[in-house]
Amino acid sequence: MDIPVIEPGVIPPDHVAPDALQGIRRQQTNPKRWDGAGWTEFAEVLRSAGIEVVEQPSLRGTFATDAGGTAYGMPHGVVIARSAVQVADLLRAAQAHRVPVTARGGGLTTEGESVAFGGVLLDMTGMSRVLAIDREGLTVRTEAGIFWHSLAEVLRRQNLDYLSAPLNLTSSVGGTLGVGGIDVNSARLGCSADQAISLQVVTPTGEIVECSDTQNPELFQRVILGYGQFGVITEATLKVRPYTPLRLHYFYYTSLRTAIEDLQLLDRNDASDYSGILTMMDKVVNLLVAFDSDAREAAFMTAWRARLRGHGEAAVALRMAAYYALHPWRLGEALFLYERRRKLFPEFRRAEYTRGGVMFDRTVVFSRAVWKFWGGRQMVIPDLAASEEKFVEAVLRGNAVCRKYFRHYTLYCVGIKLREDHRAHYELSCVPPDARERAYGCEFEPMIGDQVIARDRLQSFKNEIYDIGVELGTSYYRFGGMMKGYVRRVFGDALVDKHLAHKRRADPAMILNRDVIF
Amino acid sequence: MRPMRKVDVVIVGASLSAAAAAKRLVDAGLETVVLERKALPRHKICSGILSPRGHRFLIENFGPLPREVLHEPTWCRGVTFHFPSMVSMKMDFFGGTTPHLHRKFSDYWAIQRSGAEVHDQTSFTGLEDNGDHVVVSARRDGEELKYRARQVIGADGPSSPVIRALYPDYPKQIPWFFVGQKFHNIIECPLDHEYFHFWFHPDLGHYTWSHARDGQQIVGVGFKRGDNFDARHGNVVRYFEDKHGVKLDPHTTHEGCAENFGPSLVNRYVFGRGNVLVTGQAAGFLNMIGEGMSCALHSGAISGEAVVEARLRNRPVQETYRRMIASEVRRTTDQWNPLKIAFERPHEADFPAALMRLPWRERRLVVRDLWRFMLLYKEFKWGREILRAAASRLLGDGYPTTRWI
Repeated sequence: MDIPVIEPGVIPPDHVAPDALQGIRRQQTNPKRWDGAGWTEFAEVLRSAGIEVVEQPSLRGTFATDAGGTAYGMPHGVVIARSAVQVADLLRAAQAHRVPVTARGGGLTTEGESVAFGGVLLDMTGMSRVLAIDREGLTVRTEAGIFWHSLAEVLRRQNLDYLSAPLNLTSSVGGTLGVGGIDVNSARLGCSADQAISLQVVTPTGEIVECSDTQNPELFQRVILGYGQFGVITEATLKVRPYTPLRLHYFYYTSLRTAIEDLQLLDRNDASDYSGILTMMDKVVNLLVAFDSDAREAAFMTAWRARLRGHGEAAVALRMAAYYALHPWRLGEALFLYERRRKLFPEFRRAEYTRGGVMFDRTVVFSRAVWKFWGGRQMVIPDLAASEEKFVEAVLRGNAVCRKYFRHYTLYCVGIKLREDHRAHYELSCVPPDARERAYGCEFEPMIGDQVIARDRLQSFKNEIYDIGVELGTSYYRFGGMMKGYVRRVFGDALVDKHLAHKRRADPAMILNRDVIF
Repeated sequence: MRPMRKVDVVIVGASLSAAAAAKRLVDAGLETVVLERKALPRHKICSGILSPRGHRFLIENFGPLPREVLHEPTWCRGVTFHFPSMVSMKMDFFGGTTPHLHRKFSDYWAIQRSGAEVHDQTSFTGLEDNGDHVVVSARRDGEELKYRARQVIGADGPSSPVIRALYPDYPKQIPWFFVGQKFHNIIECPLDHEYFHFWFHPDLGHYTWSHARDGQQIVGVGFKRGDNFDARHGNVVRYFEDKHGVKLDPHTTHEGCAENFGPSLVNRYVFGRGNVLVTGQAAGFLNMIGEGMSCALHSGAISGEAVVEARLRNRPVQETYRRMIASEVRRTTDQWNPLKIAFERPHEADFPAALMRLPWRERRLVVRDLWRFMLLYKEFKWGREILRAAASRLLGDGYPTTRWI
């Protein structure tokens, strides 16, 4: 029997009847490992060009998986990024030898997007210097392998801050610009990718190109939210702003729908500077509202506080006590919530970061809490990104799926302000095509803890969440890697083929971040 | 004798579970050798009707299915149950049709796509677990071979030589069945060729089935080992003709094999010892209606994942595997759990809904016939164990791991 070789980007036909696996795209999503043909000569070429290639198994092994912890792959060699010229040399050689290159920042993907199934793993964290800060123009030029938090440390010395970034200490600037990046101020300031003014990009054929809205705008459009398909971001110029600590308020709900409606009410009316929802299952829904200044806080208290339907902590505790008194068979859940509250809440009020009710470093506070209370060896975080109108239904249906699969989980919802002039950036991205002005995202995160759950069960859970998205016509944040079977279902063949054609032109050997999207 | 070959993992068997395990190991960069007794591609007796979940696994991990790995018809729409009272229940698979695999080529395709190194015509002859490595003995063309591996995965089917190497007495402890199928040219066959047909008829045997393949009709029988295949088969052919009007020419070919039907029902799986993991049907995974391929794929993948996981975390592989396999045990044994069947949907077709579509009188007949059919299995004394497993499932999150070997 002749086993056909499948070229990257090609999906061969599946010969089972057309009505088999209805709704499931017949596409390999756990990619075949690159077979290593010609690796030795390739590694030699890199070395002779002065590029260090790490081949010791123990060092390569540290890149075997990503934050998701379900996909495992082993690169043949690891290259630590040092400069744009070095990355360009690497990509040129890889293009000529057809060796796949997987770029990785903080490795915070969950679907294996930053796992190398053979070939080179390009560790971008080697490029992590801040190059220039313009205090008057409020911009910063930085290498893209830097973590947002390290960038913030440098900026804060000059009393500046980035606009919005993932609440995670180890997410990198380049990785975030490639996929989106949401923060609790995204409803006001947009996603992280939208704060980039210009980028230095190394294309898959090894050219170093500067791009922005005015310079090489097509490349800029493709690279921003481009899932790493069209180039490696090596430097970025970003907008910054004066640093402000946060004045935080929490409101508690027992209904998801009410909390979401209130969140959207605040966002529509620009009533707060930060807003988001974080839940303990669907039992305790926490609406977080925060402000950059006393004036904004006071305005909220006068105009909006009374209109919110949320309660204080004591009132919601009483309600929960009454609920569990009437539902004694749910004692386990009640104890879980109590324990959670007891351990988690003080984390948000730690004296190191909070003084006089003002939080001084939200990234540290949230990131610590996220890893301590939600993180685990395995993490799956399927999400739905919907227009304002469809959002409540998407969350409620996703919540029902979480309940079916897991005893404990968390939902995290935020709004994302869109830039009309960046519509072209949003094609084939997490921004749903029908969203105007603002989109909403909800992450559905089971709390797995120390349990080990088979990949198939997690996959079924993710599929069920994403099926809701297909039905409602939403988009997703994490549609690459193991979830790429949804790319064509959600975006349609025409759009995907258009981007695939771009990709083939930009990357003839399909070496850069192969198998992530196409 | 050749020098001992040092590898990361040796997998015994080149079936679907082996391919799934190999895929995970090769992805993680582990040097993996697959030992197969026969020359590849090799023939394998099987109905070839894969469940939709198995189809999804194949696509996700090995890619869309080439035409050569499928029989004609290339697909199956669902299952039809037939009862002695002549009531028939047709049930479609959830989510559409499912593949009709040509095991000779599907297994070969999957193992090749896994990227593992395959040593065919190489028989496993024994192993020795030395704590930090396992020495595997094998034979090719009369020559003795030795492999030194960190872990060994036994994915070598129901009468597993790996299990016999670990637990020489195990084969004597479980009831064995024989399943055989004969291929007939069709004169006339009113049985719907889009479905897999199954008979709950105690007089026909423990496992009686029929479906179309490559222009012929398969007549299959399963029974406790020791009975006569030809007599059982003849009986079924006559029954098909009398009751269903199926007219067939005498068979052209036949095949049969031993089956370890039972461990899934009573949660008595065999997962190995030390650095040796057992997976697939060798471990006892079998879905209801005897489909073992989808759980072989998933359990095989889990065995591979467990090896990778154990190495990365520096944990004992056996403990890791047993923790990780619990979810597949839960899914498979749920299919045999009467409470799950009655109140949930553990299968990939909807039996309760099909039952409710029947008129009241026929529903009663079906329940009566099912009961009579189950009495056929009375001698194995599984009833109490099934109920015990169902009760513990009700209380806990899964099935008791203490029952596993």
